[in-house]
Amino acid sequence: MFHRFFKHIKEGFVGIRRHFSMAISSASAVTVTLTLVGFFAVLMFNMAYMTSEVEKSISLVALIDYDCSSSEIKIIENNIAELDNVDTVEYRTKDEEFDFYNEMYPEMIEFSETYREDNPFHDTFMIYAKDGSKLSELKEKIASINGIDSVEDGGSNTYKFVNILHSVRFAGLILVSALVLLAIYLIYNTIKITIASRKDEIWIMRNVGAKNGYIRAPFLVEGIIIGIMGSIIPIGLIIWAYVYLFNLSNGNILGIINLYPSYPFLLYLSLGLVGIGIFVGFIGSYISVCKYLRLKR
Amino acid sequence: MIEFKNVSKKYKNGTHALYDVNLQIHDGEFVYIIGPTGSGKSTLIKLLDGEEIPTGGNVIVNKTNVGKIRNSKVYLYRRKIGVVFQDYRLLPNKTVFENVAYALEVLDWPKDKIRRRTREVLRLVDLADKANSFPNELSGGQQQRAAIARAISKRPNILIADEPTGNLDPEMTNEIVDMLERINLEEKTTILVVTHNPIMVKEHPKRTITIEAGHITYDRQADNSKEIKVEEITGEIPVQEVKEAIKKDVS
Repeated sequence: MFHRFFKHIKEGFVGIRRHFSMAISSASAVTVTLTLVGFFAVLMFNMAYMTSEVEKSISLVALIDYDCSSSEIKIIENNIAELDNVDTVEYRTKDEEFDFYNEMYPEMIEFSETYREDNPFHDTFMIYAKDGSKLSELKEKIASINGIDSVEDGGSNTYKFVNILHSVRFAGLILVSALVLLAIYLIYNTIKITIASRKDEIWIMRNVGAKNGYIRAPFLVEGIIIGIMGSIIPIGLIIWAYVYLFNLSNGNILGIINLYPSYPFLLYLSLGLVGIGIFVGFIGSYISVCKYLRLKR
Repeated sequence: MIEFKNVSKKYKNGTHALYDVNLQIHDGEFVYIIGPTGSGKSTLIKLLDGEEIPTGGNVIVNKTNVGKIRNSKVYLYRRKIGVVFQDYRLLPNKTVFENVAYALEVLDWPKDKIRRRTREVLRLVDLADKANSFPNELSGGQQQRAAIARAISKRPNILIADEPTGNLDPEMTNEIVDMLERINLEEKTTILVVTHNPIMVKEHPKRTITIEAGHITYDRQADNSKEIKVEEITGEIPVQEVKEAIKKDVS
């Protein structure tokens, strides 16, 4: 069993050596593709990071009716906390709201203090959602609870911003998927040529009664090796570029985009790229060799 | 035993290669299959080898219906069949010994068994002294002998040789046929030689089956004792009549 396993690995390397220039050209094409995949992945993950940070900071403010008693307020708080998408609920008295307003607008203190006795603010709940993209649904649910006067949010611009971030992430995902498919196609073509150049060997294997799995194995190994070869340079390049950018920007680009800390992010990304390399190598060669073997009985 | 029962083969491109072929070859027989190019000889071999499936009738080899074998199991059937082609198909970067041994490595034979069997078949085909030579260092006849050695190394029940002497001169042709006769005798292998070399058939008389335009037209025994004219190709084929004639003759 192990003997056969190592034999296939050895044959895979022999195949690479035999068609070295072909393997190199294919690995180079995979390198270009995986570099693009890597950069888009960096962008996507950091966008996701930024989106989740933004979403975390989005909150709803529910104003409580003036005439609610403290026991009623407790019931309302429990009702809100039990809703699906609610992460945390913070209660603020109308006096705390008044102080908060003064903190925000210190230049207005003199004027606003004249209203302290007749405080126009409501007691409020600050509500943080688990999923910021479903904030409007949550807003409607809270507004329908008895004892809630109204619910305020950051306005439609906040939703737009979150939606844009989601769209960018989605577009990145499509692009990365397309690039992965391209890499599979490139390896598929290389293995097709390898198969053509080794058709006598395949013929012999088939005619003496080798299992299809046995015939397939060295080609799969070859595809995987090409995939791994193609992932080495992108990994090096991305690690270098990311660390450089991180150090240059101190982990924050233009004061807006917070970057993931290099470790363990780059480790996972590198493993991911090797994984994609192995995946595209395996799938590309599997499709190629299966197609060839399927044409023959 | 090999049996073709009312076998027809029509390819997807519309070519009708075989029409209602009936044939029986017993274990240990040596049979020539002759006929002009495009007569259906190669199709007959492909059906026997399991590479093609008949569109009508059944090909039965040692009680196995070849056309009914699942694709994923054909490899097991092929282990019992050896095939040799006109163009030898030896791997140029391997020695004669390695070429023969390769067929057994693929089948996961143990190393010592591979060595023993490879030496044995190379002796059988008189190539023991060329074991370490590469194919390009051998004559055409020697290369074909190496290909035969590879085909019989796994001890197949049946050896199919498709135009094995097509690229060889008469002297080498004799050499190869002698070799096949020896394998037939010593290894008790059923041998089917597809050829359109009349000299070979004349000088090494064996049972000879003639195929023309997809029909078996003659089936002649080695000593010419029985020659069955199976079908007339021109005009309507009198299938029933032919069947009755064969039955009568066989009985």
